[in-house]
Amino acid sequence: MTDLQQIRNFSIIAHIDHGKSTLADRLLEACHAIDQRTRAEQLLDSMELERERGITIKATAVTLDYLADDGEVYALNLIDTPGHVDFNYEVSRSLAACEGAVLVVDASQGVEAQTLANTYLAIDAGLEVLPVVNKIDLPSARPAEVKAEIEDIIGIPAEEAPEISAKNGINIHSVLEMIVRDVPAPQGNREGPLQALIFDSQYDSYRGVIVYTRVKQGTVKPGMDIKMMATGAVYKVVEVGTMSPNGLCPREALGAGEVGYITASIKTVADTQVGDTITGVENPAQEPLPGYRAVQPMVFSGIYPADGAKYQDLRDALEKLKLNDASMSYEMESSIALGFGFRCGFLGLLHMEIIQERLEREYNLDLITTAPNVVYRVTKTNGEVMLVYTPLDYPDPMEIQLAEEPYAKVNLIAPQEYVGNIMDLCQQRRGEFKDMVYLDARRVELHYEMPLNEIIYDFFDALKSRTRGYGSLDYELIGYRPSRLVKLDILLNGDIVDALSFILFADNAYPRARKICEKLKENIPRAQFEIPVQAAIGGKIIARETIKALRKDVLAKCYGGDITRKKKLLEKQKEGKKRMRTFGTVSVPSEAFMAVLKLDED
Amino acid sequence: MPILTKRPNKTPLGLYIHVPFCRSKCQYCDFYSLATKDDKLIDGYLDAVCDHIKEAGDLAPGYKVDTIYFGGGTPSFFGADGMAVILTTIRRNFDVDNSAEITFEANPDSVSDRLLHRLRAEGFNRVSLGIQSDDDEMLKKLGRPHTYSQAVSAYYKIRKAGFRNVSVDLMYGLPGQDLQDWQETLDNVLRLNPEHISCYALKIEEGTPFAEYKEALNLPDDETQADMYLTAVETLRGRGFRQYEISNFCRKGLISKHNMKYWTGGEYLGFGPSASSDFAGKRYTLKRDLRAYITGIREGGDIMEDLQEIPMRERAGEYLMLRLRTNVGIEAQEYEKMFLLPFAPLEEVLEKRRRFFHATQTDTGRWVLTPKGYLVSNDIITDLLLAQDKSSPMNRI
Repeated sequence: MTDLQQIRNFSIIAHIDHGKSTLADRLLEACHAIDQRTRAEQLLDSMELERERGITIKATAVTLDYLADDGEVYALNLIDTPGHVDFNYEVSRSLAACEGAVLVVDASQGVEAQTLANTYLAIDAGLEVLPVVNKIDLPSARPAEVKAEIEDIIGIPAEEAPEISAKNGINIHSVLEMIVRDVPAPQGNREGPLQALIFDSQYDSYRGVIVYTRVKQGTVKPGMDIKMMATGAVYKVVEVGTMSPNGLCPREALGAGEVGYITASIKTVADTQVGDTITGVENPAQEPLPGYRAVQPMVFSGIYPADGAKYQDLRDALEKLKLNDASMSYEMESSIALGFGFRCGFLGLLHMEIIQERLEREYNLDLITTAPNVVYRVTKTNGEVMLVYTPLDYPDPMEIQLAEEPYAKVNLIAPQEYVGNIMDLCQQRRGEFKDMVYLDARRVELHYEMPLNEIIYDFFDALKSRTRGYGSLDYELIGYRPSRLVKLDILLNGDIVDALSFILFADNAYPRARKICEKLKENIPRAQFEIPVQAAIGGKIIARETIKALRKDVLAKCYGGDITRKKKLLEKQKEGKKRMRTFGTVSVPSEAFMAVLKLDED
Repeated sequence: MPILTKRPNKTPLGLYIHVPFCRSKCQYCDFYSLATKDDKLIDGYLDAVCDHIKEAGDLAPGYKVDTIYFGGGTPSFFGADGMAVILTTIRRNFDVDNSAEITFEANPDSVSDRLLHRLRAEGFNRVSLGIQSDDDEMLKKLGRPHTYSQAVSAYYKIRKAGFRNVSVDLMYGLPGQDLQDWQETLDNVLRLNPEHISCYALKIEEGTPFAEYKEALNLPDDETQADMYLTAVETLRGRGFRQYEISNFCRKGLISKHNMKYWTGGEYLGFGPSASSDFAGKRYTLKRDLRAYITGIREGGDIMEDLQEIPMRERAGEYLMLRLRTNVGIEAQEYEKMFLLPFAPLEEVLEKRRRFFHATQTDTGRWVLTPKGYLVSNDIITDLLLAQDKSSPMNRI
């Protein structure tokens, strides 16, 4: 075990693209943890999707051995955090495993929304925040101004902040020295009852679940019986160790203050929930560590294979993804229009998009995703109370005594000049204003209570665009409230397409119905006959568009030189037709489903 | 079928000569041509084409040339002397049928009595005249270097020179054009009494000047264009024209035999930059670059842009996509014999289309599209291709 005085636990926080992952790589290099050849890759963001989107989806951690200027070797535990509001809880648990955070700010862009949001998460977690000004090699760099901004807006001293270029490896040494000097060494009694915080876990087909943990108190060793305090699961530890950039390094024990992994032949990540506390079966802790929250999917949508024959493939893929993602859920569902598929639950829309993209890329599936919805609660006239996860199950209006939708408490932080915009936005989204607090001379925190349904669609994006990216958001479910809900059905050529139905607030039904009909009209190709596109509530038509019959789809000229080109064109058109689902007499391309999902983008 | 001239033993062959020179570039045109009369370039072109023809002649001993087509570009602008040289070279290196159809394309601004008499004497027997519109304002918008009265006088010169098979090209769906304008164009041009008319919908091709300001063009919408098309079909039919292809109409059975090869799987060889060939089971296109073509021929370098050998299964798709453009249409036994694929799945698609008056069967049982069907032929053909993809080869004939 490493002496407490020689340990520093920290994470790196930043606005997107300010250079978090690049700095992480340079720190690894500086500690000779990776060789130059692998430089091209940002090691911590190991998923292809993460690199592409430039965001971290799963937390990871790594231990670096650093020989400091004072001649001592320190174990620097770098814990990487995810970066999106959908994963705020995961971020808070990762930060809870640290004593300090390196705040990376772009020398030309300055302080931005996520800089603030993440800094406050770190400060809330009681961390020492150490600013670093990055990208000083850029011609537009203005490090002095940016430091002043950090002091003014965030209110932490920045005069001493190292000026670095992670990309070019400038001043990386000073960052390491700062970490050793300014991040407090962890504390904790290694003899006390075990309390180890789970901040992530990952399924490995050989070892079972690998639990990433920060030991807060006590010591964990192989052979010891452990218990997850929230889930109650009990296991015998097989191995403990630390994460090096080159893989797992087994150790004899992990003691308070240390960051590492535990394996215990755990079959499912569901038993190792992020935020849960691991304790010993013998000499258990009295209390779990604070801050645990059971992760619950908040958004549900139907995922169907575009080609109905691929149902089994989709099932296998979801099973594999689930091994690694406790926050996702799936259950079989069948639609008249789409056949067999799954109702899947997600933390938010980004989480949903990520899962969808991974299914499509890593498992090579072509998917149709239905409109996402929250979980509604319906009390029927016969007294039965049901939770509605899918519009397919929504009861007939005649059978409904009370319909309720989930509400959330929303905290919004933004510079005060955007307060008006935010209030407009929240009002549009049926938000109830609670109060407003000035955090400092410039920044305001607003509290609202709002239907979750209004938040999950594109609220975060709308907030960002109305606050020029400076607004940040956090929300928490507060329970169900009665609401006037309706189920909107879409009819193509007179037949209901059940996969297009969804539940919404009654007052929004008309404008939304109109928009959906318009979108479908744009996205469904013309056929030999006219196709009416209608939206209905309980059999009453409230919007209608007509897709006119196809009259012209011809290439006027086709001579020797045109044949190859024309063939390609028809081939493409044919492939498009292959990817269409036929509902009754109408062929609908999967893009039409996507278009309905992205209703709010214009 | 009367489409191909029957000659026992020898396979019929079409020759296409691409002449890549124009007085000026039209705003909508994406054919390969240069607005130049640079002597050096013209000489280089002539040498290259002739050398190319000589080379190719040796490769086609078993063929009899029954159609020759000089297209462009503007062959009439290129001039009679050059065309005569090329035709002579062809005659020396290929077995050209005595009754071969020999066409050249002409523009009204480059048609002189001298040129016409010379070409008539050389054996050219068909002219395709690019009139496009009867409205001088429109011709200007299109970037055509001539007026309608020039087109009319060119037409009469052609007649006077003794050409008895004359085709005119017209365009519809033009900027600001309405149905009435188009009807007038048809009526005016019909007074000339040509044997053959091609009516093409204006298509905005990428890379053309029109593509850059498409939004400002005020083009008629699809509905209007569809009406224009049906108007042309009706008007021409009323005047004794037979529609034998989506955009082509003729009197007295005077179809373009050369073009018909493109649609019925006939073999043809192309010469000159950007020309295409379908020969001995392979299809290829020559580079769209005159200088590269000239150097390639001179130095024996590569002049092909893409060469592919078309497998039988693909030919089966082409059979549908090309023949259904024409009044020859498709037929069950012929199809099954050629490709060993069942016709029944296709018939199912066609029967459905019959209900929408998109397809019909001739007395001899051949399936053809109706004018309404031609208008949505891409949609029909892709349905047929899908049905064809799903069918498996027959285990007996």
